[in-house]
Amino acid sequence: MALSYFVILLLALSAAGYVMGRRKALAAAGGDSRGLHSLLSFYGWNVALAAFLTGIVILALWALFGSTLAGSMSWLGGVAALVAAAGAFAVAYGAIAPDYRARNSVEAKVKGILIFCSSVAILTTLGIVLSMLFETGHFFSQYSWSHFFFGTEWTPRFSGNSELGMLPLLWGTLYVSLIALCVSVPIGLFAAIYLSEYATPGIRAVAKPAIEVLAGIPTIVYGLFALITVGPLLRDYFAGPLGIGDSSRSVMTAGLVMGIMLIPFVSSLSDDIINAVPQSLRDGSYGLGATRSETIKQVVVPAALPGIVGAVLLAASRAIGETMIVVLGAGAAAQLSLNPFDAMTTITVKIVSQLTGDTDFASPETLVAFALGITLFVLTLCLNILALYIVRKYREQYE
Amino acid sequence: MADISASPEGLPGAKSSLYAQSDRTRRRNAAETRFKYYGMGAVAIGVIALVCLLTSILSNGLSSFQQTFLRVEIFLDPAVVDPQGNRDPEEMAKVFTFGYQPLIKGSLEAQAQELAAGPAPEITPQLLAGMVSSAAPADLRDFVLANPDRVGETVEFNFLANARIDQYLKGRVTRESAALDSRVDVAQLNAADELVAIGQMQKRFNWDFIFGPDASENRPEAAGIGVALIGSAYMMLIVLVIAVPIGVGASIYLEEFAKKNWLTDIIEVNISNLAAVPSIVFGILGLAVFINFMHLPISSPLVGGLVLTLMTLPTIIIATRAALKSIPPSIRDAALGVGASKMQAVFHHVLPLAMPGILTGTIIGLAQALGETAPLLLIGMVAFVREYPDSILDPAVGLPVQVYNFTNRADPAFVERASGAIIVLLVFLVIMNLVAIILRRRFERRW
Amino acid sequence: MKTVKLSASVLAIAAVSATAAAARDTVQIAGSSTVLPYASIVAEAFGENMGFPTPVVQSGGSSAGLKQFCEGVGENTIDIANASRAIREKEIKTCADNGVTEIMEVRIGYDGIVFANEIADPEFAFTPADWYKALAAELPVDGAMVANPNASWSEVNPDFADIAIKAFIPGTKHGTREVFEEKVILAGCEESGAMEAILGINGGDEDAAEEACMNIRTDGASIDIDGDYTETLTSIQGEEGAFGVFGLAFYENNTNIIKVATMSGVAPSTETIASGEYPVSRPLFFYVKKQHIGEIPGLKEYAEFFVSDMVAGPDGPLAAYGLVSDPELAATQQQVADEVTMGSGS
Repeated sequence: MALSYFVILLLALSAAGYVMGRRKALAAAGGDSRGLHSLLSFYGWNVALAAFLTGIVILALWALFGSTLAGSMSWLGGVAALVAAAGAFAVAYGAIAPDYRARNSVEAKVKGILIFCSSVAILTTLGIVLSMLFETGHFFSQYSWSHFFFGTEWTPRFSGNSELGMLPLLWGTLYVSLIALCVSVPIGLFAAIYLSEYATPGIRAVAKPAIEVLAGIPTIVYGLFALITVGPLLRDYFAGPLGIGDSSRSVMTAGLVMGIMLIPFVSSLSDDIINAVPQSLRDGSYGLGATRSETIKQVVVPAALPGIVGAVLLAASRAIGETMIVVLGAGAAAQLSLNPFDAMTTITVKIVSQLTGDTDFASPETLVAFALGITLFVLTLCLNILALYIVRKYREQYE
Repeated sequence: MADISASPEGLPGAKSSLYAQSDRTRRRNAAETRFKYYGMGAVAIGVIALVCLLTSILSNGLSSFQQTFLRVEIFLDPAVVDPQGNRDPEEMAKVFTFGYQPLIKGSLEAQAQELAAGPAPEITPQLLAGMVSSAAPADLRDFVLANPDRVGETVEFNFLANARIDQYLKGRVTRESAALDSRVDVAQLNAADELVAIGQMQKRFNWDFIFGPDASENRPEAAGIGVALIGSAYMMLIVLVIAVPIGVGASIYLEEFAKKNWLTDIIEVNISNLAAVPSIVFGILGLAVFINFMHLPISSPLVGGLVLTLMTLPTIIIATRAALKSIPPSIRDAALGVGASKMQAVFHHVLPLAMPGILTGTIIGLAQALGETAPLLLIGMVAFVREYPDSILDPAVGLPVQVYNFTNRADPAFVERASGAIIVLLVFLVIMNLVAIILRRRFERRW
Repeated sequence: MKTVKLSASVLAIAAVSATAAAARDTVQIAGSSTVLPYASIVAEAFGENMGFPTPVVQSGGSSAGLKQFCEGVGENTIDIANASRAIREKEIKTCADNGVTEIMEVRIGYDGIVFANEIADPEFAFTPADWYKALAAELPVDGAMVANPNASWSEVNPDFADIAIKAFIPGTKHGTREVFEEKVILAGCEESGAMEAILGINGGDEDAAEEACMNIRTDGASIDIDGDYTETLTSIQGEEGAFGVFGLAFYENNTNIIKVATMSGVAPSTETIASGEYPVSRPLFFYVKKQHIGEIPGLKEYAEFFVSDMVAGPDGPLAAYGLVSDPELAATQQQVADEVTMGSGS
C-alpha cells in the first residue's frame, strides 16, 4: 500500500494549499476581501485543486502503466506526482493577485472533473466492446455468421456440430421483456401517480420505501417464487384448463414475476419526477375546473413524460439483462413459439450458461456467449437511439 | 398542453341546478374515483407482492438465527491429543481433526451409557456420536491447541448438533421423512427429544450464523455469512464512494453544461445502453480490465466494487438526470439573475432541489449492486471463502453470492440458511433505505 | 465540490493500492460446480489442520475454471482448476501459448449419475434403451425416421406404469449432459438396435447416425435444467411422475424426497460405481499449475492433502459425502508427490 501514503501526502499538500492560498489572497487585498475579484475561498480552492489534480493524474497514470516499467520502484511514480503537484501548487500560488480570476479558474477545473465523470461511461462502453470483440472474432472464424444471425435452432452440443442460431433467443428476450413491461409499466405508473398526487404523507412515507424494497430482493427469491408458486398456479388454473400449455415454466410466468420486480423502477423514479412538476401547472388546471384525474392525465403526466420514459427504459433494460428469474421461470430451452405458455429462454440466460458451462473454452459453444453479448449490445443501442429520438420529438419544457 | 376549455357541448343546460349534479359531472366524478382506485390498486399490488415475498422468506429463514447445541463432556486424552507428551502446541498440531474424531466418539459413548442408565433410556452409545456436527473435532482441536495445559482434564463443551437433529427441533424433519433419510434415523430423533427434556440439548441464538465464516457442504449447521457480510459492506462502500460522485458529476455535466451536439447525444445513448447491458458482461469487462490488465487481485472486494460501480453508474446517471431535468428553469434563472455563476447556480440551487431524485436513483442503484451475483461470477467472487478479508484486496464473497451458494447445495438444511442470509441482506438494504429516506425527507419539497 | 474531491481521492487510492498488492498467500481454485462440494470439504479441513489459510474455491463451470487456469502464470491467475471432464488438447495448447506449460492432472474419484423420481411415485428399473426410446427426438420406425411418438412410459416398455414421460435433464452447458448422452442415450440406441436401423436408413454414415441417436426431443417431454441439482429437485416436486437426473452425492443427501431407479438391474451406490457395474459415471479431476508450486504457500500440500487416504479414501469425508473413491488412489498419491506433469510421466 506504499502509494496510498503519497495520496495522503497529496491531500495534505492540497489542504495546505487551500489555507495558504486564502491567506495570501486576503493579504494581497489588504485584509478586505471586497477588493478581490472572486470570493475568498476560491483562491484557496484554486491552489488546492491545481496541486491535487496534477498529482492524482500522474499517480493514476503511474498505477495503470508505470508498474510494468519500473517493477519494484513503485515509489518513483509517487515522488514524481508529489514533485509535479508541488510545481502546480507554486504556479497557482504565485498567480494570486487581487484581480486574479480565481473563480473562473476553479470553475474550469471543476468542469474538467465533470467531463471526466461523463467520459467514464464512454470508457466503460469502449472496454466492454474491446473485451468482447476479440473472442467474438474467434467465434466467427469457427462458426458461420449467417447461421448465427438467421438460424432458428439453438442446440449446442459437446461433440461439436452445434446449431447456434440466435433467433429463438432473441424472440424469447423480446417476449419476456414485453410481458414484464406490460405488467410493470401500468402498475408502476399508477402507483407513482397515487403516491405523488393522492396519498397522504403518512401512506406515502410507508408505501414508497416498501415498494422500493421490491427492487432490492435478490432475484433468486423471485425466481424461486416463479418456479414454486406462480408457475404451477398458471399451469393448473389457466393454461391447463384452456388447453394451451402443460408446462409450469413459461414466458408468462417469468414475465409476470419480472414485472413485479420492475414495479419500483417505474414507480419510484416516476414518482419523483411527477412530484417535481411545478404546482402552478396543477393549480392552473384546477382553476379551469378540471378534476384531479383530468389534471394528471392531461397536464402532469405529459409534463413529466421525458422522465417517465427514462424510467420505463431503465425497467426495460433490467428486463433484458435479467437471468435468474428467466432460468427458473421460463426455462432454459430455446424455442420459437407464439404461445406465452411455452417454455423459452433469453439471450442473457444463454450468455451466462455458455460462459459457466463445462464445454471446451475455445470451442464455438463457449465463444458464442461473446457474440451474443455484442449482438445484444448493438440491439439495445438501436432501441436506445429510437427512444432518444422519440423523447426529443415529444419533449415539452414547461414553465 | 391539453386544451381543457374546448368542450362547449358539455356545458350544463338551462334546467341544471348547482345542487343536482349533471350527468357529465357525475361521469367525471366517477372517472375521478375510478382513477384514484386504480392508483390504490397499483400500490396495493406492490405491497401485497412485497408481503408475500417477505412472508415466505421470513417463514423459511427466521429459524436460521437459532441453532441447536449439545452439551457434552470430553476427556482430553493425552495419549490422543499429545502423543509426544511435551504439551508443545506445534507438536500437538500434527494430530489432525481426523484424530480427534475417536476422542469425541469415545467420550460420547461413555456419556450415553450414563444417560441410558439414568434419565434417558432411549439413548444408545452409537446414536449420540451421530448427533454431533462434523465441525466438532475442529472446535475441539482449536480448544486443545489454545489451552495445552488443560490436556488430561475432562472439559465441558457445547457442540453444534447435526443439521438433521437441528432441523427436527425446528419442525422441518419429521419422523416419516427421517425413516427414509440415509443421514438420520428415528431413534436419534427420540434421543434428541430426551436430551432436550433433560436440558442437555437446547436451541440458542446463533451469532455464528451472522458473523461466522461459511462451512463446507457436510456441515450446514456451522455455516455462517460473516465473510459475505464484510465483503458486501466493502463493496457497497466502494460503490457509494465512487459511483455516486461520478454519476452525479456526469449527470450535472450532461444536463447543465454540455452543449447539445452529437457528442453529448452519443454519451446519452451510450449511458442508457449501458443500463441494458446484462450484468455478466460487466464481469467480462472486469476480468479483462481490472484483473488481466491492471493486475488487481482476483476474488477481491476491490474488483467486485469497481465492477458493481460500472454496473450501477448508468442507473444513477439516468435517475439523476431525470431529477435535474425536472427542476424548473426559473430556479436557475433566478440564481443567474442575482449574479451567481452557472457553476454556483447548479451547485448551490439546482443540486439541493434535485436531491430527492438523486437519492432515489442512488438507492435503486445500490440495491441492484447489493443483489447482483452474475458479474461477480467471472471475477472469482462466487466462491467458497472461509478467511475473513482484512482489506479490500483479500478474497471475499458478497451476500447474494452466499445466498446463491447456499441454494445450490445438496443438503436441505441450507434452504434455511439461504433464507436467513436473504433476511440479513434485506436488513442491510432497509438500513440503507432508511438513511436515504431521512435524507430525502430533508430535501423533498414542492413548488 | 466536496463529493467530487472525495471521489477523486478514493479513485486514486483504489488505483494506487493496485500496484501495491501484497503477495498472495491463499491457494486459488476455480472450476466445475460438480467438484465444488468436494473441494470445499477438503479446503475447509486443510485450513483447519495444516496451518495454511483456507483456500478459496470458486465455482463457475469447468470451462471458466480452465480458462482462468490457462490465462497465464503469476499471482493473479489461479493455481488449481477443478474439472468434471479431462482437459482437452486445444485447451492444453492455449495453456502452453500463455506460458502454462507444466500441468499436473489429478484424478480424485468418480461421480455417479442417477435417475430419480419422487418417493411416492412408482418404482422403475431402466435400461439405457428405455431412456433412448423415451427421450430421442426421432425413432426409426419401418425404415424411416419419425418424431418420437411415445408419450407415456408404458408405451416405452409395457412393464412400466402408465405415467406421462417428463424428464428434467441437465442443460447443454453441463458436463453431465455429455455423459448422459453418451452413456445412456447412445448406449440405449445401440442396445435397442435402433443404431442399426438408422444406419440402414442413412446408408451407413456412422457419425450422422450417432448424432441422430443423441438428438433429444424438444416437445416438452424432456426439459433442460441449466441450474444445479437443487433446481432439478424443485422441478420434479412440481410435476407429477417426473424424473430428474442427479449426482449420486445429491441423492444421498435427499433420500427422504427422491428415490433412484436401477439401471440395467444395478442400483447406484458408491460400491457399484467403483466396481464399474453401474454404467453411468465419470471421473473428476483437478489440474495443478506446477509453476506455482513453491511460489504459492500450501499449494502442493493442498494437492497431497486432497488425495491422501484420510480425505479421499473410502472412509474419508469425501466418500461419506458421496464421492466414489478411486481404486487407484495410491498411484495418484505417488504422482502428486513426484509432481508428475501431463505428457512427461504417464
